[in-house]
Amino acid sequence: MERVTESCMVYTDEAPEGVSEAVRNALTPFGVKWSEHPVHGGWPGCLVDRARWAEAFQALKEQAGFDMLVDHTAVDYPERAGERFTVLGLAMNLETQERIMLRTRVPEGESVPTLVHLWKSADWAERETFDMFGIPFEGHPELTRIYMPQDFDGWPLRRDFPMQGHNRFKD
Amino acid sequence: MSEVTQTEITDMLEASGSSECSILLSTVKAVANWSRKNSVWPLPLGLSCCGIEFMATAASRYDMARFGMEVARFSPRQADLLLVAGTLTYKMAQVMTRLYDQMAEPKWVISMGACASSGGMYRSYPVVQGIDEFIPVDFYISGCPPRPDSVLNVLMKLQDKIDRDRSYELTIESPDAPDALKVGEVAVLPGRRHGPPVALATDKERYVRTGPQKRMARGVKPREGR
Repeated sequence: MERVTESCMVYTDEAPEGVSEAVRNALTPFGVKWSEHPVHGGWPGCLVDRARWAEAFQALKEQAGFDMLVDHTAVDYPERAGERFTVLGLAMNLETQERIMLRTRVPEGESVPTLVHLWKSADWAERETFDMFGIPFEGHPELTRIYMPQDFDGWPLRRDFPMQGHNRFKD
Repeated sequence: MSEVTQTEITDMLEASGSSECSILLSTVKAVANWSRKNSVWPLPLGLSCCGIEFMATAASRYDMARFGMEVARFSPRQADLLLVAGTLTYKMAQVMTRLYDQMAEPKWVISMGACASSGGMYRSYPVVQGIDEFIPVDFYISGCPPRPDSVLNVLMKLQDKIDRDRSYELTIESPDAPDALKVGEVAVLPGRRHGPPVALATDKERYVRTGPQKRMARGVKPREGR
């Protein structure tokens, strides 16, 4: 059994208990790796290949009935070699109340496929992730900052962003 | 206003046809300032919890109307006092600066509460560390949020300040004059304000985060420990 570590997380090929058959079947073609932690805050998690990020969500939506994108964000792991960011997408099936969290990894400066064509709520969510982390989303209709001023310099939720004093008396 | 002599007053009385006509003698300065200080119409910029305290100040228990300030104007064109109540972010600072620029002179600014005065507890990237990075401030109110009493106290202090106002003595020069101000220039107007200058700048210079730079350009050193 191949193991991939991500911070405190351990991934395996086996889906944890509680994940429905529909979800397992939908995600099988993508070769996802499941978080060994059975239920991470109620969200079973798995790691997806970045190139097939949108396809995996499409399969979840069309085959497993996941009709809502609950959240979309990222985590910065500056110490991780090569792939600095982990992008998270949290989807939910409102009928069965089943939830799932998909993760993918992306190096600095490279883009992740957008989910806007699947859920319109991904529009602002991805703009927020872009605004805070500087991760571009390929295919997004209007990828601009959403919270910070358009001329803002820097990506506030990256680990190397200073805690205070960012705007003080800069040129 | 030229000097009025006793003879002229007598002449005016005779011209009016009645020696019993009552005349109220004062100066334009006193009348203008009396009028201004008793009709300060605030533009409340309620950005967070200080806005709620401002509402309490305006409501019947504390009753700002006693000072002629009950007419909160939500158009900068009709307001005399910009009351910045709450946490100002850099994104909102552009809006605040635009509102300030749209207000007609004479205008005054009160920075209400810790956030507006210094950023308060928000020492982070989106929050302006004091609205005086962008616009000149007449009074700062301490507190988080300040009690309505503090606001009333400062409003009365503002009335005293308006009473001492000398801005009517400013001369307005023709735009054709060789030394008239051009758009984009920064001028220091004598008289009313001795603090930061009034900036007559273009949109681009004014609304992009230029507060700290302008302070630096004026030779104001960054405060230590902020």
